Amino acid sequence: MDTCIEKIRAIGADLLAKGTVEKVIGFANGSIPMATRPVAVTSPKDMDKLVFNCVCGLNLANYVSKNSLSKKEGKIAVVAKGCDARNLVTHIVENQISRDQIYIIGVPCTGMVDKRKIAALFEDEITGFEEDGDTLTITSASKTETVKKADVLRHNCGVCTHRNPPVYDVMAGDPVEEQTLDQPYEDVDQIAAMDPDARWAYFEKLTQNCIRCYACRNACPLCYCPTCFVDESGPQWVGKGQDETDVTTFHFLRAFHCAGRCTDCGACVEACPMGINVRDFTRKLNKDALELFGWEAGLDLDKRPPLDVYSPNDPNDFIK
Amino acid sequence: MNFITIDKKDWTRGIDQSRNAYRVYGPVKDENGCQIKPLAPDTYPEMDAVVTVMSAKSVLFPQTEKILTATLDESKQDHHIMKPVKKDEMPRVVLGIRPYDAKAVQLVKLNFDNPDYQDPYWCAAYDATTFVGLGVTHPGPCDFSTAAGCGPFSEDGLDVLMADMDDKYLAKILTEKGEKWAAACGFDTAADVKESQALFDILRKEAEKQIQADVATDQLAKKEILDLYDAPFWEDVAFSCINCGTCTYVCPTCWCFDIQDEARHNTAVRFRNWDSCMSPLFTHHASGHNPRGTKVQRVRQRFMHKLKYFLDKYDQGIMCVGCGRCVASCPVNIDIREVCNRMNDYETTK
Amino acid sequence: MMGNLLEHMGVDRDRVHFSWISSAEATKFVDVVKEISEKVRALGPNKKFVKDYNK
Repeated sequence: MDTCIEKIRAIGADLLAKGTVEKVIGFANGSIPMATRPVAVTSPKDMDKLVFNCVCGLNLANYVSKNSLSKKEGKIAVVAKGCDARNLVTHIVENQISRDQIYIIGVPCTGMVDKRKIAALFEDEITGFEEDGDTLTITSASKTETVKKADVLRHNCGVCTHRNPPVYDVMAGDPVEEQTLDQPYEDVDQIAAMDPDARWAYFEKLTQNCIRCYACRNACPLCYCPTCFVDESGPQWVGKGQDETDVTTFHFLRAFHCAGRCTDCGACVEACPMGINVRDFTRKLNKDALELFGWEAGLDLDKRPPLDVYSPNDPNDFIK
Repeated sequence: MNFITIDKKDWTRGIDQSRNAYRVYGPVKDENGCQIKPLAPDTYPEMDAVVTVMSAKSVLFPQTEKILTATLDESKQDHHIMKPVKKDEMPRVVLGIRPYDAKAVQLVKLNFDNPDYQDPYWCAAYDATTFVGLGVTHPGPCDFSTAAGCGPFSEDGLDVLMADMDDKYLAKILTEKGEKWAAACGFDTAADVKESQALFDILRKEAEKQIQADVATDQLAKKEILDLYDAPFWEDVAFSCINCGTCTYVCPTCWCFDIQDEARHNTAVRFRNWDSCMSPLFTHHASGHNPRGTKVQRVRQRFMHKLKYFLDKYDQGIMCVGCGRCVASCPVNIDIREVCNRMNDYETTK
Repeated sequence: MMGNLLEHMGVDRDRVHFSWISSAEATKFVDVVKEISEKVRALGPNKKFVKDYNK
């Protein structure tokens, strides 16, 4: 993706120089190995701060919504992978922003790496990380490992079928080939195959280390409510402590609020400090949205989400 | 103060022997990573594990702690009267704690145990706990403990400091609590004080050399609070912040909490939960007003508290031990080392 | 989808009911409540999504 970053920088610098946009939101290198941080670049001379690599795992659509975008502000350019662009589309469809407020610099994406998979290769802490095409070189005090990027991809990137942004103003590279999958929801099916008590135990174990930091929620571009249900204090909907019922309630409801909206960008899992695969909740909803409504979020600016509209053909056998 | 050596072959036997007298905590590995937890029977601390995501503060200050209960059954004479939950006074020992986590306990102590106020729950837990630290011979890339008045072999707050010598641990007994623990384990092979101290010094220096933290705190005390408060860089620092509570929850020195009452059937319970200055609800007034209503204000509060308000109030250095957990866990890589340097270097143009 | 997710998480499907009952459909309301009560009674006390302060 080396050529891609040159293009992103050139496009961004041009947009800023011409005054088309006020700022460019993208990723910059972080202060530790395998870290990037979202930044807003406002001057063409700062453009070389921007990077694009396999550790840009957050979703930049999160930095563009009603809460962060004031009416007075000019246009904003966003560096967008397939999923980021789909979430920008979702923002537009949900009236959080208007199409003319943003300029989408589309990036064809070959996936982000799972930092936990990489960390698991080492007994000690990682001190260096290099990406060269499809090869990653990772070093620690005790050894150096070379791995193929494909072997350490995040799960959501491995099952991604929209690597190219569906909507964009300009593309910073040639489209990449989309993956075709025989069993896109194998992970969901595996859980579904368990008996109810085993499923309950599975989800209890999944969230047992949750510290309620809400990084999953806050990293999610869908979560733009001015006050989240867990932060309501009058009335209070859910207990705030570590009680497993409260923790499960939070995860269940957070996920359900993403029903028919989630693009499976994986920012929630990326942000979780405790390594909880909260996608186990949202993946089931995504599967249902696809099977019941033929719906994948964020692909079309002109289609309303399935839970947003009524259709006589809506499945209704659950209503008794 | 004296030194003992502990043969690694005797390590697990010693721990087992101490289980009658102590509840044993230590780093435990599972598929979700490594955390400091009470050790189940037949499990032993992962002494070689990398730094745990969460600090050891929860041993004294659990994220959720039941503090008072009452019955709502009006046929009972004491209905609706809150009563303290029985305090946990069982002696406990935390094995393999990193030295900065023990130093952090001393900083948290300033809040929970001071002349004006003694928190009964925290103090009881503190009195019951023995901290057995393991010197860090290979500090990670986030570790900047030497810049935060601590270090990989800091003794502050520890009862025992151990050093890994391949086939054995060399342990420096620092307090009476530490002596009791060693006796309970049956660890009694004395080591030469002078020689051992010299070894410790070498290990400490070698470990400190590996920490390349370029963090300066020397100017912070001299700065005017309002100059820093009004500094122009906060917007920039806060831009990428998603306002989760990760940094404050993984921090060994963050001590803020929230009191919550809950009731179910005839039982009412008062809990104390960790709270976070990153959350808007933390400062949300009953009137609806929020003095820290924006993300930038909250981010500034966290750094100002850790690096300025605390320093000015207690004169005990910054409220940070340099463990680097917030750096490692922040989803958007906000790095306290960079913010600290920006604050330290800041010159007002006024 | 909510019912499906709850079921996926291991909650018994018979504990979750969705019905559309008009304010004029008193008998339907009674029938539905009866049916739900019987099903839930047959399942016994719920252990999932229930807090226990004694833990």
